[in-house]
Parts: sequence; C-alpha cells; structure tokens
Amino acid sequence: MDYSEATERISRKYAKTGHEIDRQKIEGKLRRLVEEFGVQPAEAERSVTNELNKEFNITPAGVPGTPGPAGGATSEKKIADARPGDWVTIEGKVVSLSAPASPAIAQSGILADESGAIRFVVWAKSNAPKMDEGAWYRLDSAVVDEYKNIPNLKVHSGTTITAIDRTDPLIPAPCAIKDLHPGIGSVRAKVVQEWDTTHDRMLQSGLIGDETGTVKFIIWKEQGKEKLAVGAVYSIFYAQADEFNERLSLNITGAAIMQEEGDIATVTGGDTEVRGALVHIAPGSGIIKRCPVPGCNRALSRQNYCPIHEIQPRFEYDLRIKGWLDDGEKTHNILLKRDVVEPLTGMTLDQAKEIAENNPLGMDEVFLQMRDRVLGRYVVCKGREIENRLLVNTCEKMHFESGEHAKLLNRAGGAS
Amino acid sequence: MSSTAPEMGGRRDASFEREPARRVFASELRECRYQFKDGEDEKSPTFVLLPTGERSNRIFISGTLTEKSRQGEQNVFYRGRVIDPTGTFFVMAGSYQPEAMQQLAKIETPAFVSVTGKPNLYQKPDGSYLVSVRVESITVVEKETRDLWVLDTAARTLDRLDALATGTSPDITKAKEQYPMLDPAVYRKNVFDALAQIKM
Repeated sequence: MDYSEATERISRKYAKTGHEIDRQKIEGKLRRLVEEFGVQPAEAERSVTNELNKEFNITPAGVPGTPGPAGGATSEKKIADARPGDWVTIEGKVVSLSAPASPAIAQSGILADESGAIRFVVWAKSNAPKMDEGAWYRLDSAVVDEYKNIPNLKVHSGTTITAIDRTDPLIPAPCAIKDLHPGIGSVRAKVVQEWDTTHDRMLQSGLIGDETGTVKFIIWKEQGKEKLAVGAVYSIFYAQADEFNERLSLNITGAAIMQEEGDIATVTGGDTEVRGALVHIAPGSGIIKRCPVPGCNRALSRQNYCPIHEIQPRFEYDLRIKGWLDDGEKTHNILLKRDVVEPLTGMTLDQAKEIAENNPLGMDEVFLQMRDRVLGRYVVCKGREIENRLLVNTCEKMHFESGEHAKLLNRAGGAS
Repeated sequence: MSSTAPEMGGRRDASFEREPARRVFASELRECRYQFKDGEDEKSPTFVLLPTGERSNRIFISGTLTEKSRQGEQNVFYRGRVIDPTGTFFVMAGSYQPEAMQQLAKIETPAFVSVTGKPNLYQKPDGSYLVSVRVESITVVEKETRDLWVLDTAARTLDRLDALATGTSPDITKAKEQYPMLDPAVYRKNVFDALAQIKM
C-alpha cells in the first residue's frame, strides 16, 4: 500500500502552521498502524494527526470530519468574531490573569478588545514571552477552540506575540443577564442571595440579578478574593459564564469587580407568586438528616450516607417539603425550607425529631403527618424560580373570600 | 409518567414537564366521550377531551367521599364516590397505586377529600360511557378546601367557556366536532348552580 498521499496531506497541513515534519517518520507510523495493527487507513491518518496536534499543542480545528483549519489561512479578527476552529490574529488587552490550572499551561487569563473578551491559554511548550496584565499585545496565528462550550484562545508554538503600544482604556459594556451566553461577559447586578457553599475550595456562591433575570455566581478561593455583600450592587467585568445542563453560572473569580452606588430595585425572578393546590408531596419530604461536614449540608440517605463524606453518624436534622403546586394550567416544582415548613404544617423541628425518634415508623411518620396536613390544600407560594424549581420563601394556606364568590356568581349568571 | 413526543412542539422541549391537573366539575367530566393518545410512543400520555375544549391527562377534585368499597380477590382495589355540587366522580385505586389505595382504605366516610388522579373513559357493555378517575393521591381536607375548589373550578370552567366562544385552538375545534350537542349555556348554568350551593 502507498502511504505517500496521506503523508503529503498531513505535511501540507502542518506546513501552513509553520511546522516542518519528517515525512519518512509519518509514513512509517501510518504503515505500522495499518499493517501491524490492522487499523483502517483513514483512522490511522486521524490518529497520526492527533499525535502531531498534541506534539505541537494544536487543538484540532473545526468540527470532527472537516479536515484542516476552517478557512485555511489565518485572518485578522475582532475578538467577538472569533469562532471555534478559526486561526486568528488578534489585538487585545490582557484584562485579567489567573492561576494556571496545570504545569502544562504557562499563562491563562482574559484578553479583550472593543468588541468583546475571550479566555486565553498559553501553553508552556510554546515558549511564548510572558504577557503583563493591563498591556496590549498582537497575537499572530493563535487558534480558537472550544472548551466546555466556551471559546478559548490558544497560544501555541506557532503563535507570535508582540507587545504593541496602546494605552487606551477599555470600558466593557455590561450586558443584560438574560443575554449572557457561554463565554466572557460583563454585568451590572445585585447580589440577591448567598447560598451555603458546597465545596471546600469555594469562597462564595449565590444568586445575582438585574432587571432582566438572575444567574448563579461562584467565587473560588484564591488569594485576594473577597466575598460580595448581599444586597449590594456590583459591576462585574470579564466574568466567565459556564454552561452546565443548559443552565448558566457565572464564575467571577477572575473578574474585575467594583461595588456601585445605587440600587437595582426590580430584580426579576425575585418574587414569583403561584396560587394553586398541592397535588403531590414527594419522597424526601418531612424530616431529613444532613451531612454535618462544614460546607456540605447534603441530605443523607437512610443509612446516614453522604455521597461525598460517606457515613456520618453525627448528622443534623432538618425539615423540608418537596412537591408539586398545580394552578390548573401549569405544575410548579416547589421546595419549602424549614422556616416555611414549620408554620405551614404546624410542626416544629423539635416535635418532628420527637416523632422520628420515638414512633415505630420513625421518619416516615413525620412524612405521613405532614402530608396529611398539607396535601390537596390550596396555598399561595412566593419565592424565587431557579432551574425550574420554586424556592419558596413564604407559603400560606388560602382562605375563602366571599367577594370572589360573588364575582364568580355574577360572571356565571351574567351571560344567561 | 409522560414521554417526549416531538409533535408536542415547545411544551416538551424542556427535560420534563408534569401534566397539570385540570379543574372540572363532575357534570362536565361525565359528558366526556373522546379519549386520545398524544404521540405514538407506548408511554405517550392519554388525554380525555373535556366538552369545553381542553385536553386533560390529570384532574384535581375536591368533594365529599360518600362511599368506598374494597373489591377483587387476588387483585384488591378500592372504589369510591366523590360528590361535588354538580354530580359524582367515580374514583378507584388499585395495587399499582399502593399509596393511594392505602390512603383511600384508611378514610372513614363521609369526609371531605382532595383527589389528584387520571381520568379514564370506559364504554360499558350496554354502550354507555363511564369516566373513572384513577387516584394518584387522596387526602382528607377541611370544608374550606372544598369551597375553594368550587371557586377555582368555576373560574377555570368559565375561562374555558370564554375560550370556546372565541378561540380556535385544535382542542376547541375537536371538541365542537366530538360534542355536536354541546350547549355552552348548559355548562354555564352548571357553574352558577355549583356556586349557588356553597356558603349559602
């Protein structure tokens, strides 16, 4: 079999990016894969290409199956126009540097121009000069790829970095929270909630919002990072919006954060009100046990097992109700916390503990008693809708209003 | 519980959307004659078409449980009658709904109850139809809950009647086709009578 054609294709591809490759070596590798290991020729070519990519720190451009970098040549681009798969030349300002996640990475951070911002990674192997925060650079022949749906600019050994003489300040335009998309974004938002952290390395997590919506935020523990104050308004420049399960969350660890004067009065997603019947109380409602490890607080299984911290005999009790609230048009997944459950059910945590520890049915008895007190009842729930679930701040039973009754009688009788 | 049927359009694009429980008086549910499946899948939801022009896979009712009886030898199930101001709902819970069955078995009649369940249409050997509600949950409630349900159901039924007069949704068109004798005035009067019976 002849391997020269495939070898030619491969060498042409790397010649474009300035890499010289040894044809004989490539041909030998292809031959070995096909003849010795019975690999299909196309698969062998792919495998050799991947190996070279790794060697040169190039991320395969374009979608799998489309050979070569999209468009071929490098083009000069604004950051907002850089798409995964592009080979680009970009002028931008290093607006933030973050701690490299791995020794293979020399520098990582965020590069911005007037059009937008992008995360960048400089591979250690590229031997690129160190860039300084706040300075402008021209990057020739960098490659844009995608990591977890977020465009990422890679500086490899074929990239040239030149410092350029620009000092003009960049003022990022904040975008509305509802317009955030995976990538780098800037927002002006109010901290509306602080949540219990779920990880040792997490400094703070919670919810920020503006007039258009709310989004979860995270700050990881890093030197010099401070918590945000609940209720305060901040301008957050160059935060990273990650997407997981079609939900965005804003990692603001590396962002420039400035507290603002003034307030955002109407944060939406703030107070959703739903009236309807409690049509289902889900298992896991009633009294539950929580993991006592600081920052964990996960619900334990019946065997006192935490998915992270394993068996926890010194658990803490808590109350909650999970279920469905139905208004006849739509069913809302609701979660009531202890301070909402107690007044609604008329059962305090202490009373529930007493039942759980002394009744033969134990925790099930608490579930059954609570269910009998609230299932099938009409309630008004107010809270915050997050990830298709209403986190309820207040829940009250509805009461009969004769005014409503009279209005409906008129409405029903009026037409006949 | 329900599946992802592509022809449902936007409604099912999200991971999972629970079918809402419709509010309907017994007098209207009794008139149902048309049941259909949405989608080809084995697990596609089944709907009864309410005469006022809305599909219903689940209903929420509140009324008085007047009777219940245990039936069956090997496959035990419970039947019950729940009365609202306009008529009777036939409810049942079998071994496939163990929790609902236990709840129903425990209740002493008569009692005000709230019921969430799935309506099903049966044709009896004599050709007449019966709508029975398979109970998902049943709880003893206060009279006030029943009264609130009458208000809620009255409002929802009037909403449907308003939509029926002007709307053009496929379900409304279908209802006009399937229920040629449909007289909105009768349903409106039922609503008025139901309201007139409470808190008087």
